Amino acid sequence: MDLTQYNDILTIIFYGTSIGLILIGLYAALVKRSLIKIMIGLSIVDSGVNLLLLSIGYLAGGTAPIFSPAVIDKQNVIMVDPVPQALVLTAIVIGFAVTGVGLALIIRLYRHHKTVNIDEIKNLKW
Amino acid sequence: MVGTPVQFIAIPLLAAFLIPLLGKIWKELVRITPGVVLAYLLYLAVNLMSYTLEHGRIVEVIAGWAPPWGIDLVFSPFSGFLATLMIFMGFIVWAYSYRFKAIGDYEDYEPTIKYNLLLMMLITASVGVVLTGDIFNLFVFIEILGITSYGLTAFYRHRDGAEASFKYLFIGSLSSMFLLLAIMILYSQLGTLNMADIASKADQLKPVYKISILILFLVAMGIEAEMFPLNGWAPDAYSQAPAPVGAAFAGIVVKAGIYTIIRLIYTLFDVGGTYEYLITMGLITMIIAEFAAISQDRLKRMLAYSSIGQMGLVLTAFGIGKEAGVFAALFLMFNHAIIKSLLFLSGSYMVYNSKTKYLKELNGIGKQMPFTALLFSLAAFAIVGFPPFAGFWSKLAVLTAAADSGMILIVALILSVSLIEVVYYLRVVNRIYFLKPETSDREIQKPTTQAVLSMAVLGIIILVVGFYPDIITGVLHKAASTLLDKSSYIKDVLAIGQTIN
Amino acid sequence: MKKVIILTLLAIVGYYLIDVFAQIPFGVNRYEGQNVRDFYLEKSKDDLHVSNAVTSIVVNFRGFDTLGEVTVLFLAVTALGSILYRRREDAHKGVVFFSASKIVRSGAHLLFAPILLLGAYVFIHGHLSPGGGFQGGTIIATGFLLMLLAYHDYRVSHEILSVVESLAGLTFVFAGLGGLLLGKAFLENFLPIGTINFLFSGGIIPIIYIAVGFKVGAELTGLLYTMLNEKEYKKS
Repeated sequence: MDLTQYNDILTIIFYGTSIGLILIGLYAALVKRSLIKIMIGLSIVDSGVNLLLLSIGYLAGGTAPIFSPAVIDKQNVIMVDPVPQALVLTAIVIGFAVTGVGLALIIRLYRHHKTVNIDEIKNLKW
Repeated sequence: MVGTPVQFIAIPLLAAFLIPLLGKIWKELVRITPGVVLAYLLYLAVNLMSYTLEHGRIVEVIAGWAPPWGIDLVFSPFSGFLATLMIFMGFIVWAYSYRFKAIGDYEDYEPTIKYNLLLMMLITASVGVVLTGDIFNLFVFIEILGITSYGLTAFYRHRDGAEASFKYLFIGSLSSMFLLLAIMILYSQLGTLNMADIASKADQLKPVYKISILILFLVAMGIEAEMFPLNGWAPDAYSQAPAPVGAAFAGIVVKAGIYTIIRLIYTLFDVGGTYEYLITMGLITMIIAEFAAISQDRLKRMLAYSSIGQMGLVLTAFGIGKEAGVFAALFLMFNHAIIKSLLFLSGSYMVYNSKTKYLKELNGIGKQMPFTALLFSLAAFAIVGFPPFAGFWSKLAVLTAAADSGMILIVALILSVSLIEVVYYLRVVNRIYFLKPETSDREIQKPTTQAVLSMAVLGIIILVVGFYPDIITGVLHKAASTLLDKSSYIKDVLAIGQTIN
Repeated sequence: MKKVIILTLLAIVGYYLIDVFAQIPFGVNRYEGQNVRDFYLEKSKDDLHVSNAVTSIVVNFRGFDTLGEVTVLFLAVTALGSILYRRREDAHKGVVFFSASKIVRSGAHLLFAPILLLGAYVFIHGHLSPGGGFQGGTIIATGFLLMLLAYHDYRVSHEILSVVESLAGLTFVFAGLGGLLLGKAFLENFLPIGTINFLFSGGIIPIIYIAVGFKVGAELTGLLYTMLNEKEYKKS
């Protein structure tokens, strides 16, 4: 199915959604008082950035960069850029690892202070 | 050549996967393996360094695909010098923490496994940052650096390590976001991720992209390099982490952060005004950090702020540019790694048994721990720049470089900030030797033999470099000129492409 | 007041981002001349005989990044273990779980094996169809998560998990070193590459991806288990 005539709408959808996710995540990470909500905010920011990175690679009318038996013998098949997909794979795993460590820190802070509210966990001077 | 640069990454990784298995066979292997690995890497680094000083850059291709299609590692006098410094400091930190009581006092060896693993990978990641020639690979290594730092900062249960680590994690996440955005814009315009290729195609970028990438990159790496105002995480992380880890942060991690900024500005992009930006931000960082340091009443926080100030000075020196400035900056980095680490390592034993680490608890400790206190004082004198210790030569180099470029204001600023340093360091030395202790029966922790040896090695280096700076200045000059030679970097890396493909 | 400042800051950042990205045309070929995309697509089909170009990039062209990524996961689990560590005498009785309903429990039992099978299928066929080690490993971990949530006394052996993790990691590094020992570059392909679209194609690429699948599955399961049950250690 040829999507080239929808290019403008697709641009707005992809770029707008990813940047919107980034902004929403940043808002949550900077404004919310609960540590868990801050982690969720950071995680949403990661999703937004990864989505944006993926959108860079799109080629209008392109198909997945897999040489399946249906595609392998055809000529002039446009394939989308596989490099951003590979980069995003790595970035997703890394973001997940950081989220995991962050959540472990929250568990330990909770054990110690019995709260996850950032205003009450202020042993160190800012 | 006895090996290739990829061994700097592959061998520690191999050891990292092996350590849990080895621990089942014999527990002591867990502590010994990182030392063996680091010793071998140090030997390899020195060997490659002597090769590259004669023959030029060593470019190694990974997975058989030449740059710009594949990833490459570059061992040049500049990056190799930094890598060797990091591995050497890593070895010293490992030796110091070999039987460090606070780490191993759980009596079972699980925490020791984790500590040694994380420490070894911290060093490996920093070396990887410095050696890689591909920006996404840079991103991956920076993330490894981040994760190990978060884990090591929160290592102790009985301190506020978790809080400091969470702050660090939060800011670190934002920095990776900015870095990814920069990489993404760069890739979308130039279609390549290889540093040499980007350097050669950089003029094809429209200014709006260049500026946005530059800003995003600088913000992201400013966090790691502790530039103002992005260094809020640093004093907490340094003071809450175990002492050898604090030394590792000051001596190893922050160098990796500064390296990325320098690589970006010197090799990748050439936008007018970046050098002035470095000078300005470096001076601001230095002034604010030193003023903060003088008002601290705890030893480790004071050292942390002082370290941030020194990094500001290094950035200023890089901003001054040209061979003199870069030489001074590299000399400063070298001295700072050795001296600041010695301050952290010796300082930690002096405040070992104090819960709050307040400075006034150091009164009179010079009599109870003569050797440690002597090393601390030696390092303090060295870092403020008294002759004939090592720090004097690097300060002199910075001042000469600034004066030669006609930046008299900068000379004045650096001198006045040095005065501030003298005040707060001599204050501590005064306390150690000349003030009476508050309580009469204070328990001290005797340092382990390994700790004493590692600290002594650092002290000896300070003295040797102080009296014979020429031992190291030759290497530094070569490193400085290699960094400034952007076109030969591009040529060396991309030429490999012709020989393989 | 603070919210207003942050909202203005975000508005500036958002405007700036939109401004930059609006100038990057969407869906258009932006590079003239040779660029990495065409190179990778061509070489993946002709030189490596791997149909999934993304896999060939992840494992071969940029295999070093994947090695770093695997390390990140490994270190994250290590850091997590060290952060959540507690001595035997300090551990209070686990966390309180409400027990799952009968539907969830029997469903979990039924679905566990197919989920593991699906995960294994995904990472074994990583080079032929969308998927791969990371995706497959995550699916396997979800299977274990289902069992952990349904039965709150479900035990997984940490010993086996850590042994699997270490061995899988060693396989990856050895596959890379194998290239070095045979005189080629680190991580270069040294096994025969077979024919495209067959299971045995691509040389060491499926082997690495299978190792990654095992590793990720073991690691994520260990991570979930540590968080849910907060390990206790014997004094030894």
